[in-house]
Amino acid sequence: MPYHYNTPEDQAEMLASIGAASIDELFAPIPDALQLKRPLNLPPALSEMELDQHLRQLTALNDYAGTKVCFLGGGSYDHFVPSVCDVIGSRSEFYTSYTPYQAEASQGNLQVMFEYQSLITRLTGLDVANSSLYDGASAAAEAVLMALHAGGSRNKVIAPSTLHPEYRQTIATYFENIDAELVTLDCPAGVLDADALAAAIDDKTAAVILQQPNFFGCIEDADRIAAVAKGAGALLISVFDPISLGILKRPADYGASIAVAEGHTLGTPMSYGGPYLGIMSCDNSLVRRMPGRIVGETTDRRGKKCYVLTMQTREQHIRRDKATSNVCTNQALFAVRASVYLAQAGPQGLKETANLCLQKTRYLAEQLCQNERFSQAFDAPTFKEVVIRDAENNVDGLLREAIDAGYLAGLPLGRWYPELSDCFLVAVTEKRTKADIDGLVKSLTAKSVRQPAHV
Amino acid sequence: MRNTRDTQLLFDLSKPGRRAARLPACDVPEAAIEDLLPAGAVAAAPPALPEVPEPQIIRHYLNLSTLNMSVDTHFYPLGSCTMKYNPKRNERAAAMPGFADLHPLQPAETIQGMLHVLYEMQQYLSEISGLPACSLQPAAGAHGEYAALLVAAAYFRDIGQTAQRVKVLAPDNSHGTNPASAVMAGFNTVTVKTRSNGGVDMEDFYKKLDDNIAVFMITNPNTVGIFEPNMREIADAVHAKGGLVYLDGANMNAILGVTRPGDFGADMQHYNPHKTFSGPHGGGGPGAGPICVTEVLAKYLPSPIVVKVEGSGFSGQGSGNASTLNPEPRTPNPQYALAYDRPHSIGRVRSFFGNVGVLLRAYCYIRTHGPDGLRRVSENAVLNANYLLSKVKHILPVPQGDRCMHEFVASGSKLKAERGVAAMDLAKRLLDFGYHAPTVYFPLTVPEAIMVEPTETESKETLDAFAETLFRITGEDPELLHEAPHSTAISRPDEVAAARNPMLCCRVD
Repeated sequence: MPYHYNTPEDQAEMLASIGAASIDELFAPIPDALQLKRPLNLPPALSEMELDQHLRQLTALNDYAGTKVCFLGGGSYDHFVPSVCDVIGSRSEFYTSYTPYQAEASQGNLQVMFEYQSLITRLTGLDVANSSLYDGASAAAEAVLMALHAGGSRNKVIAPSTLHPEYRQTIATYFENIDAELVTLDCPAGVLDADALAAAIDDKTAAVILQQPNFFGCIEDADRIAAVAKGAGALLISVFDPISLGILKRPADYGASIAVAEGHTLGTPMSYGGPYLGIMSCDNSLVRRMPGRIVGETTDRRGKKCYVLTMQTREQHIRRDKATSNVCTNQALFAVRASVYLAQAGPQGLKETANLCLQKTRYLAEQLCQNERFSQAFDAPTFKEVVIRDAENNVDGLLREAIDAGYLAGLPLGRWYPELSDCFLVAVTEKRTKADIDGLVKSLTAKSVRQPAHV
Repeated sequence: MRNTRDTQLLFDLSKPGRRAARLPACDVPEAAIEDLLPAGAVAAAPPALPEVPEPQIIRHYLNLSTLNMSVDTHFYPLGSCTMKYNPKRNERAAAMPGFADLHPLQPAETIQGMLHVLYEMQQYLSEISGLPACSLQPAAGAHGEYAALLVAAAYFRDIGQTAQRVKVLAPDNSHGTNPASAVMAGFNTVTVKTRSNGGVDMEDFYKKLDDNIAVFMITNPNTVGIFEPNMREIADAVHAKGGLVYLDGANMNAILGVTRPGDFGADMQHYNPHKTFSGPHGGGGPGAGPICVTEVLAKYLPSPIVVKVEGSGFSGQGSGNASTLNPEPRTPNPQYALAYDRPHSIGRVRSFFGNVGVLLRAYCYIRTHGPDGLRRVSENAVLNANYLLSKVKHILPVPQGDRCMHEFVASGSKLKAERGVAAMDLAKRLLDFGYHAPTVYFPLTVPEAIMVEPTETESKETLDAFAETLFRITGEDPELLHEAPHSTAISRPDEVAAARNPMLCCRVD
């Protein structure tokens, strides 16, 4: 076995020290009837070389951003990952360390988490951030639970249909066995109508959850939505896109009390959807209801500034069934990568990245919609994604042919929105060049899509 | 010589006008941001991020990294958390572009290699647990517990017993996540006492077992490192009352190929692949929390799951004889698909599929070991733990006796009574000798608990040296221990002040 040290001689010496005749004897506490009397039915062991060959054969069966040009979005994006993120993220002292309960042996992790929390509050404008949750969707569900706890007898949460469908599904799962109701408001214009919200909101509403930019890439009128929510005594929970904050207002600027995000876009590849980074930030009044780990600054016995995990009395290992949540694991390694990403971007880099997404998405939409087969489904301005309607109502066929031409061209929306089954969602990150976009447009608009793939 | 300048706060290193990122020029016609977006949505300025060049980023984070103990640099005998070696081949595999650069919503026909791995993982985890159905979606162990309890709730709803099945029983030495997850899933928790040997107090168990039981949650081997002596009886009694048994899989490292939760009465379990199958802990995450359940509960599992397409003629299932070294070549007909349309499913507990990067590492680990190798893992983990126990029990008594599974919990109460040295003092002093501290004060059922798990990836020499260090420390001047650690970058932090006056981020200048 490649990772074990014990030689037969070692084993014999160790068994003698224990006073056992054999290793099997050490398993004697497991009743004989419960012991597995056959080998596990698993494939035989592979050497490292064989494993490598096996995996190469498997990856050859995948199309990926690299063999195809990726215009897929919907919560996962092909943003550029700077090399510094890989260098720091693959540093053993970060990735093979444990949760920093022993502060003296973990000041590196603790300071990075403290800096991460600081970076996130600078992004959101809110007072505090935790040191990360599982992903954007579960962070949204945790945010909703926080708002319900803070809201006393209020048990209703309103979400527009422009909130990511998988986020809404996750919240609905979390609500299944508790006294809470998720109300979804239809958004035929692609954005939430403030008057419709005003009509639906009442004194049982604990929170309104708004995605900005929303699932369709559209910019919501967040100021008005926030005003309606506040007017009814409900909290506004913002689901934001970290990259967008290079040019868009921060959640705190439009009145959000809790802000959550999917943070994989900050220096972690798409990885088929996980692991990702759940960002959470809130204002001071909610900090003791916040789930997950929090790092605080303090001093050591010699008066030196240092960092520790703090406010642990909210957590499951202290409070058990009275804890604010059951969250125990965070995404520390990806919080490290996100910190490195934000440090390397700086304010100007983040702004330029966001601007490239904005400009290129606009360019794609304009180019594509010059062909009368295609139109934008919604009038609202968009940031990094846009919903395109296919007048021929053949989205699946179109997208399948685009794959053959070298493009992962978009997400069909009919799966989540039956009324939009003639529409698909296209995302354009800073990585897409004009040639990529022109190639996609040519491929989608050609009578025959069997054009040479993008070069 | 420690570099202290470059471990200042990132924000203190910042200087306006410095930057690391250079973006490409915009190669499409550009319009003013104000012309493209509503004025009310646009920020006056980008966020106040630090401004630092690339060399400073590298120096800052690498210097910080040296302030950490890690498995790659130190022995980490941390009970309950299974800090075993993290194989490097697994890291390389997860970073392969053909896995790392996949979008989670690509059509199934474009990700057959990925789905092959995930399908096989479902099969492997089911085989190892003895529970035939698997969902890979939960993002962490506690997330898996929660998802499985929602599965249980859905089952009781389906059979019309929601109002009746309100109680989740968990032993007093269970992980804190167990009761917290149960409450989130809508149940009440009831604590069952354990005896001095760590096993469930059967008298208390029967007192609390009634027709209201929904789930009994048990860690086995349990948190004091013993295999629950009455496991079968407990499971049978819970089943006789119509309840379900949940196995907290945190300690699967001890029993791979030796015994299976499905065979000893569990209806549901989660895995911690980052413990059992050596995914790195990453300073606190990411992990993953796949769950396995019985056939009866399969239809309630979170969606999506990977299914093999009927009639695809593919025989790559994780059978011991069929090597999957040569998956079928590309075909227009996908062999694997994601099943979303599962009307009984509890739904989803997070976005997309799950923590695939962690699952890939676990897949590599299982393929590297094979059936015999996995059993060897547990044999050596148990051998190392028992050996270390035999070396330290004279200094630090182990209330549960002379034998353990993959970890044991010693008690420092004698040391405290005789010399005034607390478990925490011992833990802190170990840091001075280059050992990460064991888990202390958990489980709460053992006074001055010191929980040690050496894992199978440590040598006899390391264990001998660790035992000798423990012996040496217990003979030291207690004052030296109260003040420990002495050699780390900081001394003991004032945690009370940190909690009383929280300073949770660096102020904006």
